[in-house]
Amino acid sequence: MGLKAPAQAAALITKGILRIMGRGATTLPGKVAIKMCPDIISKCAKGKKIITITGTNGKTTTTHMITSMLRSLGYEVITNVSGANLASGITTTFLCEKPSKTADPDKIVYVLETDEAAFAKIAKDLQPKVCLVTNLFRDQLDRYGELTHTRDLIANGIDDTSAKIVLNADDSLVASMGKTRSDRASYYGISLQTMLDNNRLHPNNTILEASSDAAFCPECKVRYDYQARSFGHLGDYRCPSCGFATPVRRFELSYDASGNPSDEGFPFTITDTEHDVTDTLNLRIAGSHNLYNTCAAVSAVTRFLEIDRGKEDGLFEQACKSTQKVEAAFGRMEKIAVGNKFICILLVKNPVGLDRALSFVAQSSDADSLMLVLNSNTADGKDVSWIWDVDFESKVDDLPSNIYVSGQRYGDMMLRVSYSGRTVDGYGSLDYATTLLKGAISECPDGKCIYILPNYTAMLDLRGRLVKDLKLKDFWKD
Amino acid sequence: MSKLVIGHFYPDLLNLYGDRGNVLALMRRASLRGIEVEVKRISIGDDVKNGDIDIGFIGGGQDSEQNIMADDMKNVKGDVIKEMIEDGVVFLTVCGGYQMLGKYYEEHTGNRIECLGALPHYTVGKKERFINDCIYEIEIEGKTVKVAGFENHSGRTFLGEGEEPFMKVIKGHGNNGEDGFEGAKYKNTFCTYSHGSLLPKNPDITDMLLKLALKRKYGADYEFPELSTETEDLARKQALDYIEGKQGIQQ
Repeated sequence: MGLKAPAQAAALITKGILRIMGRGATTLPGKVAIKMCPDIISKCAKGKKIITITGTNGKTTTTHMITSMLRSLGYEVITNVSGANLASGITTTFLCEKPSKTADPDKIVYVLETDEAAFAKIAKDLQPKVCLVTNLFRDQLDRYGELTHTRDLIANGIDDTSAKIVLNADDSLVASMGKTRSDRASYYGISLQTMLDNNRLHPNNTILEASSDAAFCPECKVRYDYQARSFGHLGDYRCPSCGFATPVRRFELSYDASGNPSDEGFPFTITDTEHDVTDTLNLRIAGSHNLYNTCAAVSAVTRFLEIDRGKEDGLFEQACKSTQKVEAAFGRMEKIAVGNKFICILLVKNPVGLDRALSFVAQSSDADSLMLVLNSNTADGKDVSWIWDVDFESKVDDLPSNIYVSGQRYGDMMLRVSYSGRTVDGYGSLDYATTLLKGAISECPDGKCIYILPNYTAMLDLRGRLVKDLKLKDFWKD
Repeated sequence: MSKLVIGHFYPDLLNLYGDRGNVLALMRRASLRGIEVEVKRISIGDDVKNGDIDIGFIGGGQDSEQNIMADDMKNVKGDVIKEMIEDGVVFLTVCGGYQMLGKYYEEHTGNRIECLGALPHYTVGKKERFINDCIYEIEIEGKTVKVAGFENHSGRTFLGEGEEPFMKVIKGHGNNGEDGFEGAKYKNTFCTYSHGSLLPKNPDITDMLLKLALKRKYGADYEFPELSTETEDLARKQALDYIEGKQGIQQ
């Protein structure tokens, strides 16, 4: 067994050197520390109040929301930098991010975005108070393996803890984890009525259904019956064989389906069905998928407050109220002004992410142009086939009049757009991306926005180019 | 003229790595030629008879999903699929679909899973996966065409008597990493490991399948309309350049 103090010193020295070299220091210090002291995480986590957030989509945004909410509720929150969600990144967070000296030790909370596979390995060491699981969608299957396998990994991690678990009721894969853990599970989701209204008012008019995950009950091998759907495999489902169905949502979100849930400020309600309390909220971060993220954050924070403060009245209402100060995270869904015009970057990493981002852009009234940027480095997944799993076809009519494509695989993306029935207005490799963008900006009317949808390494590459070529300040440095 | 019917087998279970793109490509290049297209979803619980479809597509799935449909394919739809293949219905099968048409799949543990046996190939699973951008070559109507694809499989497939390879491997591993070939061909059935998706970037193959199906449907003297491949060729050229490491500033 190694020692914590020298490991921490080494981590801090590593961080210092990386900073001097002008490089981000979000994972390497942790790697060094784990090498010197393999049980560093359990040593660091001991006695701390920890909330983990895992699942394929929405982790970063939900982590950001929970952090902001707890801060406005008077907690001192320490959280990991977006993407630094493996053991190394979490160790770095413990060792290099320190609470202020004046902080009340009782009020310090660690809010940790945790990769699905990493969660299985480190849940035991972390011993979190609350584990939130957002959803499970296909995500670079060649790297992560099967969805049921991912689910089982997370479930094993949960079993190494005594944490309360907060699960998305509308995702059959996620909700199934609560079956044998009902004493500590609570569920959130969108109300059946809202989903029914939505399906009635906005029928999906696709020419070919998107590739679906989890259409069948993995235990019975029988197709789920759906009463209604929200998106992807999320919805109100029931297995006709074993009877497993959407569990009762303790935290249930409803909204007027005739409105536009992509709008910032969109009104909706969350009901704590256990206490029959309903609160009206406004969507702080645009995009209908952020309704789920907000509901997840309210659920996790309420559960945390119940553990931390005991079951006093009004905790749910406090959690709801605390969402109203949430702001978009830097560089994510944040509109950046370029003169009198705007650009907005939405990171898309997998089919459902791209599907939601396209829906969002299609519903945005200020969208003038769309730019899709596709890379295929190891961190993105080498295979770009997944762009064909996404249903562009049902959205193209509502996408902006100008579409540009770039990235290492701009040819593939150009063809994807073209096969949906639209032609692209410009295409080229990343070296050409800012030229395309400058053209788009010059033609963009004042007040309108250019939405950029890059995958992971495309986003990293593009950020540097935006700073250099468009003279934007480096707003991503946190 | 009656419409062209594409039978999409198990679309709610076999839909990995852009299988949907192949169906979309067939739909698009047929409808741009003024041919009306219908896509029939043929999954568990759906009936299909020989004569119902002009082109069949079978993709690949996750192991757990292939386990769900394997029984249905062998015991319910197996005979019809075999009959259609023998009758010359056009089929494209990818990855798992390719393996399942064969005789058996031997897991790396030695456990042998019996497959449909519609075609004489067999597959042996290995621990090491072939995950690569690929380039293949194929001859279509006397013209040699370069094909851009992507492989991701741990099974090594060996062809049987009466089957021919579908394509020649230029870059990548193909069927088994040994014999330099990719995929299988038998009558009008074509099998491949290539994702990408295969058909959108390789319109010569899309057109070959459509032409076979339409001539079979409307008679040998049916004139297959010409259609530009300009957009597809551009995408393929860029993908090939990327795979060959030739990408520079391009617009």
